[in-house]
This record gives sequence, C-alpha cells and structure tokens, in this order.
Amino acid sequence: MYRDTRIVNDPPLSTQDDAALLALVQRGDEYAMASLFDRYSKVVYSVALRVLRDPAAAEDVLQEIFMQIWRNPGGFVATRGSLGGWLAVVSRNRSIDALRRKRPMEPVDDMALPSNYNLADEAERNSMIEKARGVIHLLPVEQRKTLEMAFFDGLTHSEIAEMTGDPLGTVKTRIRSALTTLRKAFTA
Amino acid sequence: MNPARHIDPDNLVLFAMQLLANEEAQAIAAHMEECPECRRELAEVQGDLAIYAHTVEMQSASPQARERLLQHVAREKKTIPIDVAAEPELPSRGFGSRTSLTEDDLPKRGFAGSVFPWIGWALAAGLAVTAGNLYLQRETLKGSLAEQKDQIAQLSTDAATARAVMDTMTSRNAMRVTLTKAQAAPVPQARATYVADKGSLIFQANNMEPLQTAKVYELWLIPADGSNPIPAGTFHPDEHGNASVIMPPLPKGIAAKAFGVTIENAGGSQTPTLPIIMVGA
Repeated sequence: MYRDTRIVNDPPLSTQDDAALLALVQRGDEYAMASLFDRYSKVVYSVALRVLRDPAAAEDVLQEIFMQIWRNPGGFVATRGSLGGWLAVVSRNRSIDALRRKRPMEPVDDMALPSNYNLADEAERNSMIEKARGVIHLLPVEQRKTLEMAFFDGLTHSEIAEMTGDPLGTVKTRIRSALTTLRKAFTA
Repeated sequence: MNPARHIDPDNLVLFAMQLLANEEAQAIAAHMEECPECRRELAEVQGDLAIYAHTVEMQSASPQARERLLQHVAREKKTIPIDVAAEPELPSRGFGSRTSLTEDDLPKRGFAGSVFPWIGWALAAGLAVTAGNLYLQRETLKGSLAEQKDQIAQLSTDAATARAVMDTMTSRNAMRVTLTKAQAAPVPQARATYVADKGSLIFQANNMEPLQTAKVYELWLIPADGSNPIPAGTFHPDEHGNASVIMPPLPKGIAAKAFGVTIENAGGSQTPTLPIIMVGA
C-alpha cells in the first residue's frame, strides 16, 4: 500500500533520526510518514486533547498537522531544531486557533527551537518529560495555574487577571517566571 | 519599537503564546524582522514552551486516526522528480529568429516519404488520446474509491461509539448514580452511568442553574482507591438547564467511589475547586 523509496541496506525506519525520515517523506515514502506518526502522534494528540477537551476535535488537529508535514516536509528543516518540540507547540497553537475558531497564525513555523534532548529517542523523551513534570510540580501553585491557563486554556493575561483578581503585571510575571524556572532546570 | 530597544520579556512570552492583541502582536512581529537578538530569545521561549507542552498527560489517539492519516497520505501521493539525461543543445527557435527552420531547410521527399511518417504520427496521437482517457478514468475511480473508504471508516467509528453508548446504557454492571444538589432541595438533578472496566461514562443533568460565560461546570470521577479526583468533562447547561457529558476520555479500569460536580473557570481544571456543588455515590 505504501510507497517505499528506501534502499535495501538502510537502517530500520524506527531507529532513523527525524532528518532522515523527513528526507524520505520528501521523496514520497509513506512508511517514513507512518514512522513519524508513530513517534510523535501521542504528544500532538495529547496536547490537542488537553486544549480542546474533545477527542474528535483533537484528532482533526492531529490529522491537519501530519498532513502539513506530508505536503510540505521542507516546512520544517530538522537541522534547525527539534521536530518533537516544534510539533508540540504547533499542536497547542492549532488547538487554540480551533478553540477561538480563527485562522492559523504560526510564529513558530519559522523558528529554530533549541533542544538539549533528542526527542526522537523514546527513552530520552521520557526522561525529559519526567524532569519537566518534576519542575512544574515544584512551582508555586499560582505560577503553575497561571501558566496552565495561558498555555493550555489559551486565556489572555487580561482574562486571567479578571478571573483571578490579580493585577495584570503579576499575571505576566508569573507566566514568565514559571518558564524561566523551567529553562534554568534544563540548562543547569 | 526599534532594534535598539528590545521587547519586554513578559510581552515576548505572551507573543510566543499568541495571547497579545493584534496591534501589539503586529508591532512585535515587525520588530522581530529587524532584531536578531529578540528572534533568538523568542526561539528560546518557544523551546521552553515545547518542553512545557510535553508535561501534558499522554494519551493515544484511536487506531482509526492512524489509518485515516495513511489513507489521506496514500491519496495525496507525491510526484518524485526524475533525473533526465542532458539533452543536446538545440538551436534557438525564437519567433523571427534567423535560425528558425523553414521548408527550404528540410530535405525534399517523395509521395511515400511524405505520407508514411504521418500515418505513424496519427497512430501515436490516437494511442495517446486513448491512454489519456484511460488514465483519467483510473484516477477518477481511485478518487471515488478512497472517498468511499473514508466514509466506511467514519461509519465504523460512529457505529463503534453508538455500540459503546448502548452497552453503557444497558449494561448490568453499570453503576447508576443520581446526583442531587448538596444540602439543598433536590431541584438540580443529574445521573451518571459508568462502566469502570471500559472507562465509559454517560452523564445527564437537568434543572442546572445557568453560569457566567467565564465559568463551566466540571464533572469529577472520585476513584475508590482514594487517589485524586479525575476530571470527566466540562459542560454548560442549555437554556432549559439540561446538560450532558457523553463518553469523555477516561482511563479504563478505575473503580469509582462517587461522582461530583464543581464550578470551574472556562476551560476546566485539573483539580476540583471547592465547594462540590453536586455529589453522588
């Protein structure tokens, strides 16, 4: 069913890095596309589901994002950063757009996302996730909640301030401080 | 805003999350064009957000989602460029060019020499037209086949959901709970029907009080093993006070001690905010 453009002595797709898989996708290799889906569909779907809270809508976002990769794998140049990270942020942004029923707006499309982790490797990805969850868990509860409302619920700082009764400046600072703590934990 | 004056870090984070008003976002985007330092910092923030996104509770999409994607992928096959051998350079044939070929440049032919080549060309043209028609028919059939496959996949998904709903509604093992408003006349009422081993839940409420737009009701599954309440969906009652949560995504095999409903901010919460306004065990 799938078009396979690999040569016989290539390593198994499941162990190839993202750049190699994207190059195969560029050549129309459907097995490579399936491998990318198996590698990253979980995080893309989970982020979309958390934002939209609707499995059908989350699956729509999942389809849209992976079809974007199939149609234009060159849209993401793997050497510029982490494909896994890029997909997670794009999934969040597309889901927020769907929530607001507006057209996609992706400043992240052109961005090189730095990553100290090889998210293509499942063990390394799991280790990064555990570490990040640990850092978030230790944040002051106000910072954690505010970041969650902004990132996963797509609430603006004004909306958060209105809901919580906190000053605008405090809301903004909490969001940035939470991310700064996360960054420090990963660069230490 | 000019490159010398960098973007306020708080605003940069909001810009990265697309939470600024259009005007402000456009001004920052314009500054980004000219300021490599701010672009670098924005990339760092996006990296932070990527890490944060991974802290979400991981759940797998349905197996049908993978199948659906691969069907779409197969339908949109790519045209792979083929390397062509270098062709010998041809003389320029621009209109009015002195190097254009004319009848005088061609060798003179006899009658047979003039007619037979045309028979060959006519046959080739006929074959090309037939082949073109066959190709179009084949592509049309392929397109309609793929469309029908999609419809069948969608119908199968719908049928599976409907079967799960029926099983949950009619199962002998289903736990059926009536929730009433805590410490008050039982006017708002709700019924939760839950099958633990399938993680299937149907919740229907009536006489619910209306909420402000920034608030939602959130349903909670309170596990029997004493672990934290699990969010089981948010809802807004309609103008008659009716609401339902059908088959929210829940882990399978969680025995429930009770169900509760709280009022949360729009978008819901991961932990219930007291008071629990409805509860049933």
